[in-house]
Amino acid sequence: MKRKEFLGRLIGELTNFILEGNPLRMVVSLHQEEDGAHVSIFDDHKRSDKEIEMIRSALNPKARRPELAEYYGLMAGHDMTWEARLKLIGWQVKHASVQNSDSGIQIDLWLGSDAFNPADFTLHT
Amino acid sequence: MENTERNLYIVVASVLFALAAAGIITDGLSETIKGLMTLQIKGARLIQDFTVVGVGAALLNAALVATIGLVLVFFSSVSLSGPTIAAIFTMAGFGLFGKTVLNCLPIIGGVWIAARIARKKLGSYSLIALFGTALGPLVTYIMFELGISLAVSIPLGILTGVAVGFILPAVAGSMLGLHQGYNLYNVGFTCGFIGLFFSSLLKGANKMAPLEIVWNLQPHPTLIFLIPIICAGFILAALLFEGAHKTKDIIVAFLSLQKLSGRLPTDFVDNSSAAGTLLNMGLLGFASWGYVALVGAPFNGPVLGGIFTVIGFGAFGKTLRNSWPIVAGAVLATWVFGKQFSAPGPILAALFCTTLAPVAGQFGIIAGLVAGFIHLFMVETTAAWHGGLDLYNNGFAGGLTATLIVAVLQWYNTNRPKEDFDR
Repeated sequence: MKRKEFLGRLIGELTNFILEGNPLRMVVSLHQEEDGAHVSIFDDHKRSDKEIEMIRSALNPKARRPELAEYYGLMAGHDMTWEARLKLIGWQVKHASVQNSDSGIQIDLWLGSDAFNPADFTLHT
Repeated sequence: MENTERNLYIVVASVLFALAAAGIITDGLSETIKGLMTLQIKGARLIQDFTVVGVGAALLNAALVATIGLVLVFFSSVSLSGPTIAAIFTMAGFGLFGKTVLNCLPIIGGVWIAARIARKKLGSYSLIALFGTALGPLVTYIMFELGISLAVSIPLGILTGVAVGFILPAVAGSMLGLHQGYNLYNVGFTCGFIGLFFSSLLKGANKMAPLEIVWNLQPHPTLIFLIPIICAGFILAALLFEGAHKTKDIIVAFLSLQKLSGRLPTDFVDNSSAAGTLLNMGLLGFASWGYVALVGAPFNGPVLGGIFTVIGFGAFGKTLRNSWPIVAGAVLATWVFGKQFSAPGPILAALFCTTLAPVAGQFGIIAGLVAGFIHLFMVETTAAWHGGLDLYNNGFAGGLTATLIVAVLQWYNTNRPKEDFDR
């Protein structure tokens, strides 16, 4: 899949999720490297610890699911009418971190090839 | 491999072994093998009940076809979980009326080539490869029913199967976007779409034979009691998974599944527990079997195929809660149009219409009833469109129905003034 399409789908689904909370402010940040990318999204709506844990577990599946990622993952970012499905994102990213920042939720996604090393990134949030 | 997955392998392999053993015990080894060979060269378009050739042969064929799926899942390093269990049981079911070892393999080969070209492993496309065998009748038709020399027709059939498998991943992904995951048999929808082109090609070449229904009306104890035994086995396996002392946990897991919409892709094993999923599968199987018995329909190959598919998707989208409104809609349509409940079309529609279960799961009972109602008259028409080449005809009709319903609901949802900006 082209990088542009892949990023567009993931950002679309993530944006869908954030907009469900009807935020007054939302920021999406993208940092691309040769073999990977870092997507960061913030809003002004803090979540409870339970909500944070649910989001984190949806974005970090217990096992890799290539059969779901490559096929059903195509639905990510495709439809904004109904609720967002973070698992569609979780199957396709290397790692996701979720936390409450000073203002609201902050979700970071790392994606890329097997050679990709998130530690090389210089984006400071 | 985790313990849960290892246990699921034992359960699925046991069912497949039971199918093969039941077949051989029913008809004897030599008769069963002879029948199995006959099935490989027999026409497979809708509806060809393989139990007419022999109950034993049909059951052994079903076990072998499903074993292809299980072996593929094992060697392609994907999880044996909700989606793959659904695929394997669907393959077993259709091994009773259309899929054979011979007509499945070229399609899987085509998907493998597509994966290689896309620089992916077969595991990434494994679900498409397994469900894509719905177009097996196309392979058989070209090999043995075109009326040309076998020296030409057999390679042509293989080539066609490979070509179909090759395009399946591309088309299946696009078709998902039409119904947004509200039709569980998405590859059935895809295969129906592809089948339209091949059917038209064959009609254009004046090589398309009319459809015929081969429907076994002879009751056979093996076919009648197979489903209750397997479903009881699932419930027993659920108890063994968690331990009988944790019955409450199993019921809680089962009840948590009932709250899910079932929209693709909802892996019940991942969302709940393996035991809760097995209980859901077992109860769905009993409910389906009970409906067939209630309306007095025969327990033949296609009907058992329908029940096996419902059971399989009991791990991947179907629950008692989201299925009943769809079935009620199809039953209502059967009654309104004055059809016989036990006739081939209505009974198969009542089982396979549960492809639309996520519609009821997401939008409620009324939407489910409407979807089931529409599905019945759609499915009776669509088989002719693709010449019976797509075994998942209900997936094709379900995809069309879901696309219509989702489009209308999407339009309604996105045009509610109270949620709009002032402009």
